[in-house]
Amino acid sequence: MTGDRLNPPYGILLDRAKPVRFSFEGGNYSGFIGDTIASALAANDVWLISRSFKYHRPRGILSMTGDDGNCLVQIGPEPNVPADRRPISHGLRVTGQHYKGSLRRDRSKWIEWFARFLPVGFYYHAFFKPRGAWDFWEKRIRAAAGLGHIGQVARKNTFDKNYAFADVAVVGGGGAGVAAAIAAARAGGRVILIERQPLLGGSLNHARFDAAGRRGVETAKALAEEMEALDDKITVMSDAVCTGLFADNFLAVTSGERLTKLRAESVVLATGLIEQPAVFANNDLPGVMLGSAAQKLLWLYAVRPGRRAVVIASNSDGYGVALDLDDAGIAVEAVVDLRYTIAGDSLIREALDRGIRIIHGYAIERAVPNTGGSHVAGLDLRLRPGQDSGPPETRRLDCDLICVSIGWAPAAALVAQAGGEVVYDDTRSAFKIAAAPDGIVTAGAVRGEWDLDAAIADGRRAGKHAMAGGHKDSAVEDPAVTPESNPWPIFDSDKGKAFIDFDEDLTPQDIEHSVAEGFDDIELVKRYSTVGMGPSQGRYSATNAVRLTRILTNEPLSGAKGWTNRPPTVPEKFGLLAGRRFEPRRLTPMHHHHEAAGAGMMVAGDWLRPVCYGADENAAVQQEVTAVRQNVGMIDVSTLGGLDIRGPDAAEFLNRMYTSAYSTQPVGRGRYALMCDVSGTIIDDGVACRFADDHFYVTTTTGGSDTVFRSMLWWNAQWRLDIDTTNVTGAFASVNIAGPRSRDLLAPLCPDIDLSPEAFPYMAVRQGDVANIPARILRVGFVGELGYEIHVPAGCGAALWERLTVAGHSFEMRPFGVEAQRVLRLEKGHIIVGQDTDGLTHPDEACMTWAISKRKPFFVGGRAVEMHRRRGVARILVGFTLPAATQILPEECHLVVRGQEIIGRVTSIARSITLGHPIGLAYVAPDQAEPGVEFTIKGPGGRLIRATVSALPFYDPQNRRQSA
Amino acid sequence: MTDPTRFSRRSFVHPRLVQHGAIFRNIGQVSVADTFPGRNGLATRLALIDLSPMPRLGLKGGGALDALREAGIPVPPINNMARRLSDGALIARLANTEALILPDIELIGDTIGLVEAVPIVSGCYPAPRRDSHAWFVLCGTKAVACLQKLCGVDLSPQEFADLRIAQTSVARLSTILIREDRADIPAFHLLADSASALYFWDVLCDAMDEYFGAPTGHAALCELNTRPPVKPAG
Repeated sequence: MTGDRLNPPYGILLDRAKPVRFSFEGGNYSGFIGDTIASALAANDVWLISRSFKYHRPRGILSMTGDDGNCLVQIGPEPNVPADRRPISHGLRVTGQHYKGSLRRDRSKWIEWFARFLPVGFYYHAFFKPRGAWDFWEKRIRAAAGLGHIGQVARKNTFDKNYAFADVAVVGGGGAGVAAAIAAARAGGRVILIERQPLLGGSLNHARFDAAGRRGVETAKALAEEMEALDDKITVMSDAVCTGLFADNFLAVTSGERLTKLRAESVVLATGLIEQPAVFANNDLPGVMLGSAAQKLLWLYAVRPGRRAVVIASNSDGYGVALDLDDAGIAVEAVVDLRYTIAGDSLIREALDRGIRIIHGYAIERAVPNTGGSHVAGLDLRLRPGQDSGPPETRRLDCDLICVSIGWAPAAALVAQAGGEVVYDDTRSAFKIAAAPDGIVTAGAVRGEWDLDAAIADGRRAGKHAMAGGHKDSAVEDPAVTPESNPWPIFDSDKGKAFIDFDEDLTPQDIEHSVAEGFDDIELVKRYSTVGMGPSQGRYSATNAVRLTRILTNEPLSGAKGWTNRPPTVPEKFGLLAGRRFEPRRLTPMHHHHEAAGAGMMVAGDWLRPVCYGADENAAVQQEVTAVRQNVGMIDVSTLGGLDIRGPDAAEFLNRMYTSAYSTQPVGRGRYALMCDVSGTIIDDGVACRFADDHFYVTTTTGGSDTVFRSMLWWNAQWRLDIDTTNVTGAFASVNIAGPRSRDLLAPLCPDIDLSPEAFPYMAVRQGDVANIPARILRVGFVGELGYEIHVPAGCGAALWERLTVAGHSFEMRPFGVEAQRVLRLEKGHIIVGQDTDGLTHPDEACMTWAISKRKPFFVGGRAVEMHRRRGVARILVGFTLPAATQILPEECHLVVRGQEIIGRVTSIARSITLGHPIGLAYVAPDQAEPGVEFTIKGPGGRLIRATVSALPFYDPQNRRQSA
Repeated sequence: MTDPTRFSRRSFVHPRLVQHGAIFRNIGQVSVADTFPGRNGLATRLALIDLSPMPRLGLKGGGALDALREAGIPVPPINNMARRLSDGALIARLANTEALILPDIELIGDTIGLVEAVPIVSGCYPAPRRDSHAWFVLCGTKAVACLQKLCGVDLSPQEFADLRIAQTSVARLSTILIREDRADIPAFHLLADSASALYFWDVLCDAMDEYFGAPTGHAALCELNTRPPVKPAG
């Protein structure tokens, strides 16, 4: 059974050929594709859907918009799903939330018995005395608070984003919105029309505009035909919500699991109206709903909202609801019209003609609950003061459905977010949009245009105006016919709780208490009482809360503003904001070879680099270090930065950017390049290779290339030297062959380059072919052995690695990774900028005065370096050793101490296989910097470790091996 | 079918091409992924083609554009515009001081040779775009919709016409994006950091999935070049 359904034309959203089975609270139900959870449950006569936040009262359908908190359910790990919006699907398992025991018999409903002890803001006054009370109460309150539960096991979901552009974005696909889209498209614009429902039409699909009940359908059909002719100019986003309207007409639109960032030249907001509830005792019972909710159940889902109905009306819409109920075979017990005077119109006359009873002159006493209190069973009325005697003082109307049609509020959240002005107009007894910003045009019912034809015409006007730029147009007239709303739909009663905010279980007394406590502005009332802070964000409470607050503070209603409106207009999942994870990762051209060789990879800036080759890191590193020291090894150094500096002023430029002198550097030679910033702090290092008088190729650290490049561009924008700087980091793949046998390995691959020490000495640079690949070759010695760094076009990097690997077979060459390289360079006493230097290290502290030219008039940071020198150093970077038997080594950043004083820190540490004992670098006091001096490191667990200063380099102090 | 590993130069996405089952063909001194089994009709709907191994060149400096004109290569009149050359090559003017030259995809023309012969003088320097940038082509009637998932520039034909250039971010990568429609089918050259090529390729393939697009070979692009103009399918 898919529930008791009306026949077509009711149920326009349903696909009756596709029944669906789902469960709710363990019970099995059926519906159709197109049903929401709430509509399918209603069809199966299930009206209790949730429990309220504070008092655990039974709740059900209120609005059928998905915007109120009365229909929130749990689906698996996802809490707070609006049942009146989420479609059912086959096998869907739904449960209620926020109850103990069962939804039907919630053991927590006893809380309501203590309501008088839990007034608004009670938690500000209680639970913190005596001392320790809060510790007791906090966990209990936390356990009771919140709705639903979040699954702790995160499941991967696919969220997406895209960008869209339009001349005109129209938000709201009702009559006015569709008319606006058509007009804008006819004026030549690209239009995107955003509609929350699965189909266009808005209230045309369910509201009654005329006695015969045909105008809505006919108007929707006519507009659809107009749209079809403009199919290629209008993009319809249905099932889509505009969650925010930001500066420069930037709209966030969510649909399913996609967030669209939409940029529009102009925006038309045709977002319509929000029907408002009345405040009377037990107005939250299941079966008490807005009139439009009942109409949606009928027309969209073919569901009878009840069997016997009372309509509470303050406008002719209520009569439209009554006629719709009557047409659907639902007994209409009465229309209770709250107005003092009633103007006849076609809907009222039709109701009278059908014999529908109209009761006038009564106020609402309460909704009467059934036995068990889970559904409405009747409506009690009381005669208004001043009425003629004769009618009974009180009346009871038996019913299982109360439809409330007492007024409207404009859906103006987006206007407010965009900076528009929304104020209370007491001639309309509702909020109205007083002003919209430039570029935003309001249309239709949201602007107050109530007559259907006028609303459609207003939409057309708005579309054309938007295409003309949407500038503020003072010539636009106020609507002639505006929606009618009850000016005070709040009824005192001691017969039960009357809710002004369903989400937060707030009554008018809570607002009164807030004002009595001194919170005399709506913004303060909101924060103290939490009115409007629930899932509906004030859609069904703001108007009454503002009315009440203004009356209580003796302020005029006219011109009153609500609280500040902020995005999102509906809840947004964090996944939508995150979208797909775009995390660019740079890989060298040899990456797949490293993976194939079993390398573990590490993140180095934007890159991945091999740590070592082998599962046992310690063993692999030791073997790789030994291979380099005794034989030959190969490391991928493609991640190092590379910059081509070309032009007549290239040498002068390097003179200014780096600390050394480059003007006299011969062609064919490399020179160490140390870079400081304006404060004299070391920020990068590399090698400057001169390939021609006007061409330098400068390397940088892996993480420094972008910073150095930017710095070079910035400085030369001021100096205007005749150079070109090109960042060629990604354009070259580089390999370092290092070890005593590196020359032997390389020579056969370089037939046109003389690798002899005389022809190619240490720190020389050459260009030629290596393994038939054009290359730049640098003879550098970062690891302290004979070595050649080969730079080839990146597209040839993989081929170079393969050919070197083949050539290396007969030499038993090993690839080595970053960890082995760290040990090797440490043995040679080379610093790593950023590890052995920090944000303050200047060259004198790092014992690098040798890298500073004494004859240059200027380099970046030179003045500051000089000032540091005059001031003297407070710390010095030194090498140190530990006894070979040391079991537990200090780690990087462990402190160097002297008594209670912190002197410095360890920057590098490693067990040296080559030397047979641990070595490291550390900052110590100047009086501790001589070789042989001992100092103290506070190691793991606070253990004090004695270290001995050592001269650098530890390995091959005569540099014979790297200069071989 | 040829073995691309016989060449010194490899595509930056070579492992992915092999994974997708590419069949390679030599064109001059390069080997390109020419066809993919079962995918060669996709170029009109949505296809991704790798042209990374093919030659291309940049020229930078205050005298770069003049040097190109002197070499007989017509330079577009404004920045961020491209121009088709008579041999099928494309010149993209990126700035007042920089241009990028893409060859005809069948490597028959002589534009690249002409540019390579431009003397390196003060104010005119070659930029190694063949190695600094990977080169992909995304083409098809769904190309704009696909790219709008990755790029915040309005790529609709009204706002981004044929031969327009955007130097922008695509999936968080700095990218040179050049529109060069083929037979009325939208097509975009995408040039971005070569070291990020695998990431870029994977992101584009993922984005294409929604529109049933897939990697396709060089042959499909050549075929698109020879089609008469057709109204693209919706």
